[in-house]
Amino acid sequence: MTVMPRLEDLTDKSFNPFEVEKLSTGNCPDPYPRIHELMSQGSVVYESYRNQFTDVPDVQMGHLPQCMVLGYDAVMQVLTQPEIFRNKEAFAPNLGKSFGNTVTVMDAPEHTHFRKIFQKAFLPQIVAKWGETVVDPVVNRLMESFIHRGEADLIEEFTHHYPFQVIYAQVELDPEQAPVFHKLAIAQLLSSIGAPQGPEATQKLGEFFGELLRQKRAKPGTDLISHLANVEVDGEKLPDDVLISFLRQLMNAGGDTTFRGTSVLLAGLLTHPDQLKAVSEDRSLVPHAIDEALRWEGPVASTFRYCAVDTEIDGNPIKAGTYVNTVLASANRDPRKFENPDEFNIFRDRKNRIMAFASGPHVCIGQHLARVEMTRALNAILDKLPNLRLDPDKPAPQIIGHMLRYPEHLWVRFDPQ
Amino acid sequence: MKKWMCMNCGWIYEQELGDPMGGIAPGTAWEDIPDDWKCPDCGSAKSDFEMEEI
Repeated sequence: MTVMPRLEDLTDKSFNPFEVEKLSTGNCPDPYPRIHELMSQGSVVYESYRNQFTDVPDVQMGHLPQCMVLGYDAVMQVLTQPEIFRNKEAFAPNLGKSFGNTVTVMDAPEHTHFRKIFQKAFLPQIVAKWGETVVDPVVNRLMESFIHRGEADLIEEFTHHYPFQVIYAQVELDPEQAPVFHKLAIAQLLSSIGAPQGPEATQKLGEFFGELLRQKRAKPGTDLISHLANVEVDGEKLPDDVLISFLRQLMNAGGDTTFRGTSVLLAGLLTHPDQLKAVSEDRSLVPHAIDEALRWEGPVASTFRYCAVDTEIDGNPIKAGTYVNTVLASANRDPRKFENPDEFNIFRDRKNRIMAFASGPHVCIGQHLARVEMTRALNAILDKLPNLRLDPDKPAPQIIGHMLRYPEHLWVRFDPQ
Repeated sequence: MKKWMCMNCGWIYEQELGDPMGGIAPGTAWEDIPDDWKCPDCGSAKSDFEMEEI
């Protein structure tokens, strides 16, 4: 029998990464007026995205030459020209330090090679099966704790936990280690603001996954890690550093973003009761609601690329060596592509694809799993919380942050079950 | 049901929808899509697609 290795907590056990993380994601209530203002200046603005909204210094990227690329077509141009706008240099100083040598920190041909191996484990027909076997049990277990009360904070009691617990189930993590796991998964990102707990978390997660891989190679099971640990490509297994880095990133890319996306989805529907009613009565609208939530308030507002050669976008020069803030939020709110872009409207025309999962060769590997999770979560909430509405005695939800956006609370009432 | 799927990102080609943004009209059969067409999600080549059971 496999004995799960022990995940070591941070040395300073009183350190709260969830509170510190807010420093880097910010508490900006609405970045969109500023984003529209920037977009009206043109496709390229020669400033950093982060500096528009916070004075907290970025110790990793703040000293580097930066520009913003704004608007749907310009953002698409950056994301789909990987030979000009590269990932390796863009992410080596930040996510590369937090996670290690992940596919996000690679370019072709290395990226193309590893990407296909990882994507194979997350193809639509694979993750669809996880909906019933992995996602539903997690969702049902969490909802059991508040379904009888007739009131809940859907963020604190539900969305903040379920995507992480889905990942724990996939890697068969010992449940009692889950709190430390969640804490380290968030703490590893804090290298971006110079917190020593960032590299400490990266190291401790690496030691844990290294030992887990050793065990899963010796005695493989049917779980995701066993699959990835033993899959062979051209007769060779995935290198340890690439796999460990991927698993570190999985906690954040798969947990943190889906938590925020689901939170925004529920906030959007609850603040638009007519649309909540419509989707509740016609579940064929669920994919529309998910797409609209991810367009309206995509969890990741901006991502980086590194400009490798002198180039231009819409006649605006970008010099080689510039770090390009590729503002996904501007693409998703571009009035040239989406009519009344600031409105949440699940009935809107879907002819333009949303950019919440980015685009191009680095488009989100986990997008199909995210959609499965959000679909299962929303259907469960609509099924099990009848007469769902915002709690009139509590503050209305407020989506905050300039980079990773979500509402901190979503207080609701419903008919107790 | 079997459909053509991009092996780099999992995007599925639906014949009835086509890929209007990529110049492929709804109803276009897979065989009639030009070889230089690219996956609308990730930009992979047509040759990176495989027939998969969905």
